[in-house]
Amino acid sequence: MKNRLKVLRAERDWSQADLADRLEVSRQTVNAIETGKYDPSLPLAFKIGRLFGLPIETLFDDEASS
Amino acid sequence: MTTAPRRLAPRLILTALGLVAGGVVGAAIARLTKAGVIDLDALGWSDKAAVLIAVCLMALGLITAVASFNRRAAGRMMDPDEGRPATPGQLALYRDQGLVLFLAGVMMAAPVAALTLFDPLPAPIASAVMMAIVAGFLVQTAYNIVVWRRGDELMRRVISDTGAVCFWVLQGLLFLWAAAEKLNLAPVLSTWDVMTILMGFYLLISSVISIRRGLA
Repeated sequence: MKNRLKVLRAERDWSQADLADRLEVSRQTVNAIETGKYDPSLPLAFKIGRLFGLPIETLFDDEASS
Repeated sequence: MTTAPRRLAPRLILTALGLVAGGVVGAAIARLTKAGVIDLDALGWSDKAAVLIAVCLMALGLITAVASFNRRAAGRMMDPDEGRPATPGQLALYRDQGLVLFLAGVMMAAPVAALTLFDPLPAPIASAVMMAIVAGFLVQTAYNIVVWRRGDELMRRVISDTGAVCFWVLQGLLFLWAAAEKLNLAPVLSTWDVMTILMGFYLLISSVISIRRGLA
């Protein structure tokens, strides 16, 4: 699943470790989500949405709608 | 310009430490064999494989546990690219993982070591070793649950995926081998042989899934 996490993180000048701290996950988890190796759980996706102040459908693209 | 060497350094140090540790273990085994303390020729293929896996698990567990007492070392081992000191939570997780790995290695090596050191193995010693294995197994199970609870969702996903792949592949292979064995088409395997194959396969699949998911 594609996502905008890397772009949003870069806009705030956060490192992967900074974002991982805010989400209470490991940096590897953030990296795995950004590189599409891992799709986050729904609770984590909502947490990411709340952190960036965006609805999750604008963060993640399941490629089925396009 | 300085990023690449800095990232390379922890990996090179770990590789060098691994080579030294491997050399020390190899030399110790050679000395014990030469002194007649252990007889490698008397060990079956599954005993040799089990000891190899056990030594790797113990070494990895020991390195992980020792690193967990130093925030910077643990941070570098966990994440060579970032290199930040580990948090107290990460240190605790690392320590628990080290203990789980080390205990797994000890439990795997114990039966082979007992049989190698005592030939024939007296029943009281066999019972004492078995009791120690059961105690170690209970402690390890408790710490496995702690690791599961302390880990984040990516780690839990890797553990779940590894368990699922191992179950589906190994139950299929076990059925096929059992059928072939029943038909006298395949040699008989002991439960120790099967356990060694299972453990080796588990470690292989665990590594592959960790890499694929981005955990390692």
